[in-house]
Amino acid sequence: MSRVVVALKDVKRDYPLGRESVHALQGVTLEIAAGDYVAIVGPSGCGKSTLLNLIGVIDKPTAGTVSIEGKRVDGMSDREATTFRLRTIGFVFQRFYLLPILSAVENVSLPMAEARVPAAERAERAAKLLEYVGLSERLNHRPSELSGGEQQRVAIARALANKPSLLLADEPTGELDAHTGAEIISLFRRLNDDGTTIVVVTHDEELATAARRQIHMRDGRIVGDAFEI
Amino acid sequence: MIHFLASFAAVLLVQQPAQADSIQPRTIAIDEAFAAAAGLRVGDRLTLSASPGSDASAGEPVIVGAIFERSADPSEIARGDFRARLHLDQLQRISGYGDRVDRFAIATTDSGDIGRVLDQVNRQAFGFRAYRSRDIAVETSRTFLVVSRFHRAIGVITIVASSVFLLCIMVLKVDERRRDIAALRLMGISRASVVQSIVIEAGLVAVLGSMLGVLIGWATSLFVNAHYQAVYQTPLEFSILTGPIIAFAVSLSLILGIAAGLAASWRLVRAPPLALFGR
Amino acid sequence: MRISLAWASLIRHRSRTLLAVLGVAIAAAMLLDMVMLASGMRESFRELLMSRGFEVRLAPKGTLPFDTDASIPNVNAVIATLRANPDIEAISPVMGASIHVPVNGRNVSSATLGIDPSVQGDYELLEGADVKDGDALVANDHLLGELGARIGDTLDVATGYDPQTRSYTGQRKLVLSGRVRFIYGAAQQPASAMQRETLESMVEPERRNRASLFMVRLQKGSDSEAVRSWIAEQLPNVTAISIATAIAQVDQRLSYFRQLAFILGAVSLFVGFLLVTTLVTVSVNERSGEIAVMRAIGVSRAHVVQQIVVEGVAISAAGALVGLGLGLVTARYLNTILSAFPGLPMAIDFFLFQPRAAWSALGLLVASGIAAGIYPAWRAASLPIAESLRRDAIA
Repeated sequence: MSRVVVALKDVKRDYPLGRESVHALQGVTLEIAAGDYVAIVGPSGCGKSTLLNLIGVIDKPTAGTVSIEGKRVDGMSDREATTFRLRTIGFVFQRFYLLPILSAVENVSLPMAEARVPAAERAERAAKLLEYVGLSERLNHRPSELSGGEQQRVAIARALANKPSLLLADEPTGELDAHTGAEIISLFRRLNDDGTTIVVVTHDEELATAARRQIHMRDGRIVGDAFEI
Repeated sequence: MIHFLASFAAVLLVQQPAQADSIQPRTIAIDEAFAAAAGLRVGDRLTLSASPGSDASAGEPVIVGAIFERSADPSEIARGDFRARLHLDQLQRISGYGDRVDRFAIATTDSGDIGRVLDQVNRQAFGFRAYRSRDIAVETSRTFLVVSRFHRAIGVITIVASSVFLLCIMVLKVDERRRDIAALRLMGISRASVVQSIVIEAGLVAVLGSMLGVLIGWATSLFVNAHYQAVYQTPLEFSILTGPIIAFAVSLSLILGIAAGLAASWRLVRAPPLALFGR
Repeated sequence: MRISLAWASLIRHRSRTLLAVLGVAIAAAMLLDMVMLASGMRESFRELLMSRGFEVRLAPKGTLPFDTDASIPNVNAVIATLRANPDIEAISPVMGASIHVPVNGRNVSSATLGIDPSVQGDYELLEGADVKDGDALVANDHLLGELGARIGDTLDVATGYDPQTRSYTGQRKLVLSGRVRFIYGAAQQPASAMQRETLESMVEPERRNRASLFMVRLQKGSDSEAVRSWIAEQLPNVTAISIATAIAQVDQRLSYFRQLAFILGAVSLFVGFLLVTTLVTVSVNERSGEIAVMRAIGVSRAHVVQQIVVEGVAISAAGALVGLGLGLVTARYLNTILSAFPGLPMAIDFFLFQPRAAWSALGLLVASGIAAGIYPAWRAASLPIAESLRRDAIA
């Protein structure tokens, strides 16, 4: 039996909208084991990004509990949540969000600098990570000098900087063409094969199919949960 | 000499005996500051002497006949002097000046005759010269002229500094809207239209801002005058807000505001729209 | 890494950063000038008064030295009275008058001081000899220039001019023995000095045995205020002024400039603060997405704030340094204007650079840069991460 990395129990998330509330999540219960490669799919507004944000500890549920690596995260203070994210979770965004003023290797080093990894060690690890994602020739390039696919690969390397237990990705191929998207999909597969637990939110059918487990959502609820055969 | 003695003749406050003196005391006038500082009122009896530190018997009895307001003379500000006015013959006697004066002030019947009077007097004068009062005033108000120059210099520096500050803030605030500008340009709105709308906005802000500034300036002016008139005990007005000054301030603000808006917006519309999106 | 991030952020928008630095530099220059003005006059005047070591001055009752034509009678009696106080080391009586010297058909006029050369504190000798005998005269460069005279020349000197009769009460031939600099002399004012007895012999009889001023030097360690009070008691027809009193009186007369300095200084500080706040606010608003991502990947709020505040401090510090140079130049110009005050000793500076005060003022500006950055930075770093990311994606 694999270790449970993510456990959500009856999680709800409401947002105020004028006098009413939007029920983005309506009682979600979910477990993700170590080594899983999960794709969360569903129509726009079904709550999949909200779910990812709760798993990523960048948002708090209105009700219910969220545990990551056996630790309750829904009640953490901002400081605890920040430190937790730094060391346990890696985040990849649709829009890459690299710092435009830093080079590729500096962007990857940023989380390690925050975790007080010595400069020499982080330079070495950053270079290795960029090599892993196939960008050893682009270490000192700024984001403006990289293609969309290359930027996303730098973002993935950055997410892996502090050896997180969990890699979360919100529409990682959303801004990429099909060919580049396929490269990213292939990279995710490789990462999972190497043991990384991955949760992606996506509209991309190819990416969803590449995952080993698909969770379907509609109107804030999980309506389907299928494993790859 | 008479001038300074009028200022600095020592005044001894003594209780005059109730019975009448053989010499009928003459009246003097003192200024408000003197009256306030010495606690004097009209009717008070004093002893006047030209030698400080001498006792009452060495002086002449006088009565405070009037308390007058000092003139609005900038050169007297902050000197802390007191002024008294005496009958000329009394002052000449007390000071030992004799049959002498420092100057004569002459009023003519018709201003057009001043030049003629001057020539006549100077032709006949022996040991003195006649001048227009206006010319003397300029010479004796050098203090005021220096302060004026200083104020003007500070004013120029303030205007230059304000222009830079305005440009700075305008550039920052317009820069904040670079994505909006980029979106407008991508939609097909011309550079000129974009610049025009920002300049109009800047102009409006400048007009509103300068109107608020005039209000603040007017209130400050009132406060400054009240404060310094009380501190220096003078009716002099330290700050005057006139129509031309307001017109100058508003016009300058408008010009600077528009120029700053123009400079700031032109900087952005020159760049390709996608560059403004950071691509 | 935070400093390099801040630096990279600043040079990302070079012209904007430079403009902000220029704005802060101007605010810093004005602040520096006002700090120099606020304390300059007092310190400059104090230095001047202390320069010859005379701690107490006696002037005719109710006046400041040489403020009027008034004088103190019975010089010898005054000196005898003062000598009774063991705290008094030396007494320098000074008599003021005007002299006239005919040169090429015109009269050159000059203020002159009658002094005792053994204890005088009014001038320093630059060239030649002091007024060792009764026929000697020393003069400053202005007077020498107007006379076209040199050391060793004999001059016809007259005093006590009567405009009615166009005659003088006293005339004498004096030899120019030395070139001097009058410590309390106003700019461009011709001035001279001779022995007091010489001047007394030339003025009207009623002006003899009178002094315009006494300067009193005290024994080391004496209490100047105690001596001043004692003199005031012993000599009721004089005003005794200690250095502290003199400074207080000058302060009162020039209080307007101190108040102006305070107001303009406060306004400059506020404007500098406003500029940095605006710049930081615009900067963080533009980068709200970046800031949210930094928070999402685990950078703490405090570290995000620190990085942003460093940007504000960098602008303030750069502006302060540039403003220092700019302020010194402007101060010199403004000092030139105010130095034209009639009768003001040339040695008085309105704008005096005092390193401690200057650095404190500029330090205050940099501190305000910190304060200016903190609030917008904290606000930006405290925004809900998910909300910021969503808003940024929509934008």
